[in-house]
Amino acid sequence: MALVEIKNLHKSFGSNHVLRGIDFSVEQGEVVCVIGPSGSGKSTLLRCVNLLEKPQQGQVFVRGEDITDPDCHLDAARQQIGMVFQQFNLFPHLSALANCTIAQRTVLKRSPAEADRVARANLERVGLSDKIDAFPAQLSGGQQQRVAIARALSMDPALMLFDEPTSALDPELVGDVLTVMRKLALEGMTMLVVTHEMAFAREVADRVAFMDGGVIVEQGPPADVIGDPREERTRTFLRRVLDPTHVEPT
Amino acid sequence: MTSATETVERKGLSPRQRARRSRGIQYAVLVVLVLIAAVSADWGQIVSVFFKPQFIKEAFQNGLLTALVKTLEYTAGAFVIGLVGGTVLALMKLSQVGPYRWIATAYIEFFRGLPAIVVFIAFSLLPLAFEGMTIPWDPYGVVWLALGIVASAYMAEVIRAGIQAVPKGQVEAARSLGMPAGLATRKIVLPQAFRIVLPPLTNDLILLVKDSSLVFMIGVAADGYELTGFGRDLANTEANLTPLVTAGFCYLLITLPLGILVRRLEARTERTR
Repeated sequence: MALVEIKNLHKSFGSNHVLRGIDFSVEQGEVVCVIGPSGSGKSTLLRCVNLLEKPQQGQVFVRGEDITDPDCHLDAARQQIGMVFQQFNLFPHLSALANCTIAQRTVLKRSPAEADRVARANLERVGLSDKIDAFPAQLSGGQQQRVAIARALSMDPALMLFDEPTSALDPELVGDVLTVMRKLALEGMTMLVVTHEMAFAREVADRVAFMDGGVIVEQGPPADVIGDPREERTRTFLRRVLDPTHVEPT
Repeated sequence: MTSATETVERKGLSPRQRARRSRGIQYAVLVVLVLIAAVSADWGQIVSVFFKPQFIKEAFQNGLLTALVKTLEYTAGAFVIGLVGGTVLALMKLSQVGPYRWIATAYIEFFRGLPAIVVFIAFSLLPLAFEGMTIPWDPYGVVWLALGIVASAYMAEVIRAGIQAVPKGQVEAARSLGMPAGLATRKIVLPQAFRIVLPPLTNDLILLVKDSSLVFMIGVAADGYELTGFGRDLANTEANLTPLVTAGFCYLLITLPLGILVRRLEARTERTR
């Protein structure tokens, strides 16, 4: 059974039909990168996996449970799905440590000592043992994003969603975050990553999915989709991304 | 060549000289006015009516400080009621349930649009209208209730604006960690909202300090007098304004530091933005 299974997913914002029938799945332990031009629906697809966006049609199964069912315990399902946002969304009124403990204590009902231990271990995992007591405003973008990863990991999720995690970072800070993500992938974490970092996708992903116009145009091993794409749309996109100064012949 | 040059030459003054002359005239007018006031006013009379040391002393001896404490107690209790009521109303106004929104809107618009003194007069008449009705903790209960009802309407709007100023991503992050909506509101949204509205809430507190003077409308007993009631009473007895002026200065003792606090808080908010 796939960890995540999406069937015939449709999502519109007003008259804007963003997802036009997505069938997609993520296996346990798999790292899947979703690439594609802006407005292609990749972020919306990701946000449908933990139902931050409610699809109009279709189903999302997490470990076999249909989370689009109104009777589903959505909060319980979300505990198993960690999410990392483009804009970090750290809680600014809490320290790095408290950011990582608050949901453990209030949602998982862990004891303060246990939550503290897990949070410290995860902050160390992302290389921020020395920033435990810092508040988000005192951290750089890259450090904030790594705290956000530690916050999600502290819930012991079965799956991690990354929504363009490096797009809001200064270029020199991107590497630190990607290093942490690479390490997570090596440790066997199941990851669904929306990204513009082609080098990362090529190196780390088990599978790459290219989206355009609300559908998945093609998917497969990175060597195929990025290295030798079948579809013309994929080729056009990759040319623009990999060689931004290139001018299309008219 | 140009007309500007001609003007300058005609008046014989550069812009800087003209600005200096203008400033000089303004100072001269001020000095003349102050001199006229100083010479024409009957200073002895003014001091004896407004600032007579004998009555200032008497005010202190007759319980000015007790009245000051009463003002603080009335204000503090009403502020707590206003804060709790305002938060509940703000959450109701943002509720998904229509009737909650309508009730909150009706309450807020009603009590914001009404002069506070009308509410106080109504409370003073309640025991007459409903015979035998008593509000516990006399006189605190009735004062806190009357002031709190008005304050909660004002504070609800401020708190609602604060809640809406918390970025949407904060709720999304909380929900993605599995927090139910209520928990996310309590642990993530409200702490940030209150931080945002601290300066305007302090402004409401200043208004509340002054509104507590309306308590005399309810007709509390003499031992329940706050500053205004106390000052008015003593001023009536002595046929002299000094006690009222003294009480008035006590208000400034509370409101001026709060005003400075608001400016500090605003500066801090500005910095962290």
